[in-house]
Amino acid sequence: MSRDTDTELVNQWRKEPAPLLPLLHAFQNRDSYLTENALRCVSDALKIPLAELFGTVTFYHHFSREENGQSKPRVCDGPVCRFRGTENLLDALNAKPMPCAGRCDSPVPVLQGNEVLIGSDANSLKPLPSPLPPPNPGGIEECVFAHIREEGRATIEGYQKTGGYAALKKALCDFPENLVALISESKLAGRGGAGFPTGKKWEMVAQAEGNPKTIVCNADEGEPGCFKDRTLLDYDPHATLEGMILAAYATGATRGFIYLRYEYPDTMRILERAIAEAKDTGLLGQNIGGKAGFDFEIYIRRGAGAYICGEEGSLLNSLEGKHPFPRNRPPFPVTHGFEDLPTVVNNVETFSAAPPIVKHGADWYQSLGLGEHVGTKAVSLSGDIQRPGNYEVPFGLPLKTLLHDWAGGPPSGQSIQAVSMAGLSGGFLGGSDLDEVTLDEPSIRSKGAFLGAAGIMVFDDRRNMVDVAHNAMAFFAEESCGKCFPCRIGTHRLTERLNGSGGPATESEWHTEVDDIGDTMMATSACGLGMAAPNITRSLQKYFPEQVAAHLQSVSR
Amino acid sequence: MNATAEAQTHTLILDDTEVSFHEGETIYEVAQRAGREVPTLCYDKRLEAFGACRLCVVQLEGARNPVASCTTPAEAGMVVHTSTEAIKKHRRTLLELVASENPEATINPLRGFASQELNELLCKNDVQPGRFQGQQSGTSNGDDNPFILRDYDHCISCYRCVRVCAEQEGDYAITMMNRGFETQITTEFNNRLKDSACTFCGQCVQTCPTGALGDRKAMRAESLPGELEKTRSVCPYCGVGCQVDLLSKEDRLVGIQPAMDGPANEGALCIKGQFAFDFVQHEDRLTKPLVRGDDGELHEVDWNIALDRAAEGFRKVLKKHGRHAVYGVASGRAPNEAAYTMQKFIRAGFGTNQIDNCSRA
Ligand SMILES: Cc1cc2nc3c(=O)[nH]c(=O)nc-3n(C[C@H](O)[C@H](O)[C@H](O)COP(=O)(O)O)c2cc1C
Ligand code: SF4
Ligand code: SF4
Ligand code: SF4
Ligand code: FES
Repeated sequence: MSRDTDTELVNQWRKEPAPLLPLLHAFQNRDSYLTENALRCVSDALKIPLAELFGTVTFYHHFSREENGQSKPRVCDGPVCRFRGTENLLDALNAKPMPCAGRCDSPVPVLQGNEVLIGSDANSLKPLPSPLPPPNPGGIEECVFAHIREEGRATIEGYQKTGGYAALKKALCDFPENLVALISESKLAGRGGAGFPTGKKWEMVAQAEGNPKTIVCNADEGEPGCFKDRTLLDYDPHATLEGMILAAYATGATRGFIYLRYEYPDTMRILERAIAEAKDTGLLGQNIGGKAGFDFEIYIRRGAGAYICGEEGSLLNSLEGKHPFPRNRPPFPVTHGFEDLPTVVNNVETFSAAPPIVKHGADWYQSLGLGEHVGTKAVSLSGDIQRPGNYEVPFGLPLKTLLHDWAGGPPSGQSIQAVSMAGLSGGFLGGSDLDEVTLDEPSIRSKGAFLGAAGIMVFDDRRNMVDVAHNAMAFFAEESCGKCFPCRIGTHRLTERLNGSGGPATESEWHTEVDDIGDTMMATSACGLGMAAPNITRSLQKYFPEQVAAHLQSVSR
Repeated sequence: MNATAEAQTHTLILDDTEVSFHEGETIYEVAQRAGREVPTLCYDKRLEAFGACRLCVVQLEGARNPVASCTTPAEAGMVVHTSTEAIKKHRRTLLELVASENPEATINPLRGFASQELNELLCKNDVQPGRFQGQQSGTSNGDDNPFILRDYDHCISCYRCVRVCAEQEGDYAITMMNRGFETQITTEFNNRLKDSACTFCGQCVQTCPTGALGDRKAMRAESLPGELEKTRSVCPYCGVGCQVDLLSKEDRLVGIQPAMDGPANEGALCIKGQFAFDFVQHEDRLTKPLVRGDDGELHEVDWNIALDRAAEGFRKVLKKHGRHAVYGVASGRAPNEAAYTMQKFIRAGFGTNQIDNCSRA
């Protein structure tokens, strides 16, 4: 096998948009780590100062600066996997731990080079496709999962056979402004966590000055306990592409990126094929769908292991090849996004909801929610539950219906002690709130948590919640970018207080310190990571004060 | 932005007082101008606002969370509170957190211009020492260069050094490695400064708010007796005219700091202006004219004898080789008046146009 020379790699990527990440991956794939020579070549080719490039490379988990670093196995030690074999795998494979890799519905993922293997011990490891969402147990009409279980849906023929790209054809017969109006009217809101109205976002980009405009699909899915975007992209990739093309038509954007998390190499291959198919069919490229002057390209950019790169400012910096700190806001990406030009950043699920909305109308989408609530949400459910997986729920569905009726409740003989919200960012719900809340922001926020991207991890009564909270806070500390003081120091101090390696041992002083750190993090952090992390300690203190007391007893010796 | 928009002024309410501002100003700049004391650690007015330390947070009416005033543009009609009890508590907590990542220490002001910033804020804000104890951050780099101490035990990851190096000096010599609590300021490949793109301009040292970066040459005087005094002057090295503060103890020059308000340099210097002052008090420095005697040795003489001797030498050359055998190079360190006299001396005195200046880059 011949090795590409430095010049070949550089020439392959230098002129491409957002070239840094793919060029670094190309060097790492060739050499199995990033050599000093590789960094010098890249610095030279892309005119990034060497020191800055070096700093940026060290930011990402999966760029390695050690020989053979890329092939060293990584084992998920996320909140679900760590109770399902992580420790044995780490020992048996002499592996490195990695944060939740988005396979909580079929633990434990092991990432080796560009392959993901699944298993609970070293002998059972094998490649395993993502589980399909179980048929909707409530028999409720779905939006994004409506066709996902149909055979061959991931191919363009299969997609078109089941109604795919009809929405685009329909939209192209009408003015872009009417498409924006329709999305606004449907009240579709961002499904990546923040819930910003999608129609409003598209409208702002459509009206913003500056070209070229960009559509970014956020497929970073780094939130522990979230794996819905992976399933959507694996089984229904054209739905996301169609949503992005619709967004391009609505806003006048000419280039698109899918920022895909590193831990989804199989998804990368599926997407590459889907994009090629769409190009061959004239649905990407120039004069899309026969519409003169409607040009749009989509590029996949693979991340390199950093939860913060799911935050849109950090994601944009990462695409641009800068140090991936979040950006100060204002200005927002709608006016100053990729290369400081107007940019839509939306989640995978948000894009995949657009085609069915265009097809069936705004009223249809609104009516999918229960009561006052609008639309549906893909929920990733995992942990101590009989039937983990992705469920598309109508907003307003009682949590207990999802847990017990749809997913079969906890393993037999156990009871549910707590569930996490928004993956981990929302903290935990416990006690009687588990029976009271419905799956929508007003209900969940009234308990001090939030639904966000809707990862829900279940912890039954066997789990030590202080230990669970410690693992969660250690994740945030590990993933804190280090830009702002409250989060950089606060996540670390809270982690220490949860494992007893720092902080006062008396209960009242412990709570005062933990409260003060948490309050200041929530109020002053520069981005959502630092603002949300204290939800972990707050909810732990609220629902499990006796477990905290016992923890303090045990560390005070 | 067009000229009318720029000239336009608006008003907002700052701590119950109406104040006016220009389009493009941040809340912090407005508050500064109005004389409000808003603490900062990551701010350096020469640099793009960054928003790391969050000490500058203020409360905006109608906003759920406080905002960082340094990065938030002022908007007409905003109602801003710079120092509510809640804001003061957040600032105290932030300071206690940042104090907890470093050893408690007094930092000698010889380390650098801004080196007292952190400790002064800790004093001013009733910070309780010893709160939030835990692991400390940063590993010092045993870089043995003669100019810059890299004592990252005191680093608070404000990135002023990295940003000044990029934005002001344009050298991009330093960077941040890793992330979160593991963040470490370093160079490409985590090396010594002399193996990096560093030009030893010292600007990172002077903007560091903790003394984590220290001026090694000035620090030699830490144990000298006497008060530290600052005297404003102009760097004698070249024609740019960078303003400096000469640091002295008793009658010794012990260090140099750039004047942050120097119109030509705004806190910048080059390696010479910053570090190369040892000649002033060097034992080898000539303080009297010397001429070589018949014995081949140099002897102290008075100026008349020395100048006569020089003139005699010139005359000899002229006689033997003609006027074009003389070539004058004026020092770049000389002021305009001296440079003028020099060219006059060469042109009118010798009758040749062979005159140049060493700083003609
Ligand atoms: C720490 C952090 C991580 C995030 N990670 C993701 C992510 O992985 N995927 C995502 O779609 N949004 C993520 N977001 C939210 C994005 O910043 C942004 O709001 C979202 O992509 C917008 O798309 P939407 O409106 O369709 O939800 C994250 C936010 C924060 C603060
Ligand atoms: S809150 Fe945390 S992740 Fe966000 S900018 Fe601050 S340090 Fe970075
Ligand atoms: S001395 Fe100057 S060039 Fe060197 S790191 Fe500091 S700011 Fe950069
Ligand atoms: S060395 Fe000084 S200026 Fe640089 S980040 Fe640390 S504290 Fe800030
Ligand atoms: S001065 Fe505003 S965050 Fe530091």
